Amino acid sequence: MSAKKLPVIKLKDVTKKYGRDDTEVRALDNVTLEIDQGEFVAIMGPSGCGKTTLLNVIGLLDAVDEGSYLLDDKDVADMSGAARARIRAEKIGIVFQNFNLIGRMTVIDNVALPLTYRGMHHTKRLLKASRVLKSFHLSEREYYLPSQLSGGQMQRVAIARALVNSPSLILADEPTGNLDSRSSHVIMEELAELHREGNTILMVTHNPNLTSYASRVIRMLDGHVASDRKIRVIDNDKPEIVTLRHPEKTKVKKPKTAKKSKPASEKKLKSKQAKGAKK
Amino acid sequence: MKFLLANHIDNAIYSLKTSRLRTFLTVLGLTIGVASITAIMTLSGGVTAVIDKQVSEIGGNIAVVRPGGGSSFTDNLTDIVSGNFYRASTLTEADVSSLQEGFPKLQVAPIMTMNATLKSTKYQVENANILATTPALLKTTPLKIDVGQFIDTTTDNMTAVVGADLAVKLFGTTSPLGQTFDLHGHSFTIIGVLQAFNNPFNYDGVDFDNSMVVNLDAGKLLHNGFAQIQQLTIKAPSSSALDSTLPKISATLKENHGEHDFTVVAGKDIATMTSGLFRAVTSVMSAIAAIALVVGGIGVMNIMLVGVAERTREIGIRKSVGASSGTIVMQFLVEAILMSIAGGIIGYAAGLVIAFVATTQLYFVPVVTWQSAVAALVVALGVGVIFGLYPAVRAARKNPIESLRQYR
Repeated sequence: MSAKKLPVIKLKDVTKKYGRDDTEVRALDNVTLEIDQGEFVAIMGPSGCGKTTLLNVIGLLDAVDEGSYLLDDKDVADMSGAARARIRAEKIGIVFQNFNLIGRMTVIDNVALPLTYRGMHHTKRLLKASRVLKSFHLSEREYYLPSQLSGGQMQRVAIARALVNSPSLILADEPTGNLDSRSSHVIMEELAELHREGNTILMVTHNPNLTSYASRVIRMLDGHVASDRKIRVIDNDKPEIVTLRHPEKTKVKKPKTAKKSKPASEKKLKSKQAKGAKK
Repeated sequence: MKFLLANHIDNAIYSLKTSRLRTFLTVLGLTIGVASITAIMTLSGGVTAVIDKQVSEIGGNIAVVRPGGGSSFTDNLTDIVSGNFYRASTLTEADVSSLQEGFPKLQVAPIMTMNATLKSTKYQVENANILATTPALLKTTPLKIDVGQFIDTTTDNMTAVVGADLAVKLFGTTSPLGQTFDLHGHSFTIIGVLQAFNNPFNYDGVDFDNSMVVNLDAGKLLHNGFAQIQQLTIKAPSSSALDSTLPKISATLKENHGEHDFTVVAGKDIATMTSGLFRAVTSVMSAIAAIALVVGGIGVMNIMLVGVAERTREIGIRKSVGASSGTIVMQFLVEAILMSIAGGIIGYAAGLVIAFVATTQLYFVPVVTWQSAVAALVVALGVGVIFGLYPAVRAARKNPIESLRQYR
């Protein structure tokens, strides 16, 4: 925990509006956020609070109306559409709640799709997709159509597709939203494994149980970041939760998993973003 | 980029295959357009080639003079029969004699045509073509005599030379020498039969196989004593002699008429002008072809728009995994182009078949050139690009988030 990690994502006063005049909705309202390399961030909040919009903005699928977004220290507003597409192809892997596999393409073609847009040769694409599918225990399903798979398998295919480019950033929008608890567990274990390998993961979820996999939990409300807690693991058995933003209640909570033991240390982290938070 | 193109083609073939009937109908629309264009090009090429051949076989030393000239060249000169059907010709017998006298080296044959009913002892032919001319026609036009002789300066006015087909129709024989027939109450005797010419498209504009040739005086007799000359066919000893004489011919005729109410055409222009007979047909067919192409193109656009709407979600997915707008444009454009190229190739083949089938009833063979193949492909490609671009751009402009929200 000693080495200072570089922030991959820097959002400053980001606002995203939908609609016009009296129907205007601020899906994101002055959001300021930094996410470091290797973090597993769970974004929570009620429906319509702007979680998915935040993920779309970070995934370069949507542009901000106000404020700035720096990805790897580069302002995305200065990038052309093609440059953003290239970043999506090379640096970002997105996992959707409803899998979003192309129904008429086989599993392996779906997984190889991002490689297509990097200009990789057909055979190489398939070889690489096949390797990734193998790591997800889906080798036998390579030439199945998505409709022939179970929900859990489809989501594993979707994750395989998100990972095939070895992206530095993985965005997951309710990855277990359409899955039963058993499949959810499998998927979360996959994501946790990716996190352990050093990937940066942003996951939007409704399910509070899933936050146990995350290293940081951001709670959103009405387009704001309502709270931002980091779980610092000093000792694997004794994780600790530090609230980064929640000015009135900035304190260390005892995590459920560490009920019996006393927190090893209590150190308040002073967040740079704290001043931007309103609650 | 190279791999992407291969990928786009794979993709396009796959999606075209999945909706076969739709693809087939769209391609069919284009096929009709391209087939019409191909048929027109090969057929009109055939006509032009036939006349070009006639002109060059004679040595490029032929000129024709036709009445009119004040108005548009093509209007007056497309066809000496139908084009001047309603008007009196400005060319006169005096023109023939002054040209003959002024330029002794030239052969000048007047062409005067009319329609009449011919009656032999056995048969009757209605609306037969009567050609009144002078013996010079045998020099200016590559006609050959099968049996008997052609009209000459010594033959009687009441003699006639019959075309090969008309001989059979009127007399029931290919050699009716000495037989007589009735024309406007006058009795004519056959003194010769023309060898089959096998081509109604020639620079004289006369279907010789179905004509009765009489001398100009007989023509006048049948036409109230007035020679209605629709064309003068002029042959010079050589093409260079012709070139140098043409201005003088014009000058002489202008002097005769007092104004420039005629047109002199020589060389390749004759073929262009005479094949104008075919031009009316060609222009109508071209209009049909153009309409068919536009309708075919609209079909392509329509189907592509449907395809884009159906695959909105796929577009969203592709964009989210890294496809740029340009890539999406190419994906859909390639699909439209593939359909139109298929239409182009099938249409070209169909056009050739149509042309060859049509020429079994005509007097010439279609001319197949690489230009017509290229034209068919270019036209098809153009239609694909023009009508495929809008749907493709529309696909590329789709907002990925909204696209992903759409269930198929």
